[in-house]
Amino acid sequence: MKIRGAIAAGLASAGILVAGWQAGTQVGGIGTVATSTTATGTTGASGTGTSGSGASGSGASGTAGSTGTGSAGSTGSTGSTGSTASGTYKGTAVQTRFGPVQVQITVANGKITDVTALQLTNTDRKSIQISNRAAPLLRSKVLAAQSADVQTVSGATITSDAYLTSLQAAIDAAHL
Amino acid sequence: MQPTSNPIDAATGGPILKARTFECMGTVIGLTLPVGSPAEGQPGLDELMAATAVVEHLFRELDEKFSLHRPDSEAARLARGELTLRGASEEMRARYAEAHEWRLRTEGAFTPERPDGALDLSGIIKGHAIREAGTSLQALGRHDWCLNAGGDVLVSGSPRPGSTEPWKAGIVDPADRRTLVTGYALGGRSRHTAIATSGSAERGEHIWRVGNSAEFVQVTVAAEDIVTADVLATAIVAGGTTMLNRATDQWDVAALAIRTDGSILATPAFHAA
Repeated sequence: MKIRGAIAAGLASAGILVAGWQAGTQVGGIGTVATSTTATGTTGASGTGTSGSGASGSGASGTAGSTGTGSAGSTGSTGSTGSTASGTYKGTAVQTRFGPVQVQITVANGKITDVTALQLTNTDRKSIQISNRAAPLLRSKVLAAQSADVQTVSGATITSDAYLTSLQAAIDAAHL
Repeated sequence: MQPTSNPIDAATGGPILKARTFECMGTVIGLTLPVGSPAEGQPGLDELMAATAVVEHLFRELDEKFSLHRPDSEAARLARGELTLRGASEEMRARYAEAHEWRLRTEGAFTPERPDGALDLSGIIKGHAIREAGTSLQALGRHDWCLNAGGDVLVSGSPRPGSTEPWKAGIVDPADRRTLVTGYALGGRSRHTAIATSGSAERGEHIWRVGNSAEFVQVTVAAEDIVTADVLATAIVAGGTTMLNRATDQWDVAALAIRTDGSILATPAFHAA
């Protein structure tokens, strides 16, 4: 039973992570609706455990009222006794502004060692990443852009004089 | 002298891009439209001229009220203390309130006040003008356009009307302004229709650094609206990595920041697939 509780708690906290992350994207972040996140854990291996041990928490930061529900799937191996259980468990997908997001927890010897947000697909079927944090990017890895391929140019504000010799001026001239 | 017939791409028979520019707020503003055959319901050159005139009128009105370079403007009188906010126009107070709200949201990285305490709304007025111009273009019935005001860009629709093809914006390399660092797709399927870039060597004096951070020479932000993109780009130049992380955590934006040594920090949207 220990493992069930651990999974439920893990999914609940993961759900809060996702909900909190969603909430964080709301401009202003002024939320009045508290989010309660419930997770249901089932032990896949025993075949008996179905009852949800509910863990609930209310979102600490302002939220937009999203609710995440996670239930452990059958992926990964589940140890038969709690304290030595290991494996990975996927929660059900929750809707976010990027499309469905699913969390996965890794359990080793009955302890949650990792909570990951899985990369899923958005409506364009393109792989998305959950973290929007800026990371180092090598120039060689940047999608190369040639001025011939763009219709407009973004740069720090230029004076009218500087415009005359700018890429934007060349593009505008081509469209005269 | 204007061409008398509307241009149509000889190869495809479809509309081709046409641009008109004007000078205002110390920079150049350009409007680009796919121009085609009026018989097929596409705007012609006349529509482009009319739309540009509307945008220009709007920019000039805002410049007259908000420019600190015009001694007789309302903003200049406010800055000199001849006028207080209480006695200012409703529009002035609305922009001040908006700028002040951004100061709170960015924890001071963006501010409408100069270090000497004088009110300076120039950090928000260009973005506001672009936003208002966009609203006017929609009201005119123009669905596909690209508006570039001195390097800050707002788009609608597609360069190919009826398609989901995005507008492609190049991002200037601050080390060599004749080349591009990368590109970013605006409109089309993207949520982001606006992109703005701020630089540490920017002509506008509205960037005041928080502390001594001089981490980034140039910051580009793409967002769903131009004011958010513009303000956050300015705030990140002022606030460095701390503000960059705050912006990407709290807003639905893509960001690309170039450090003084030329290295790049970028959100996943800028990483090649």
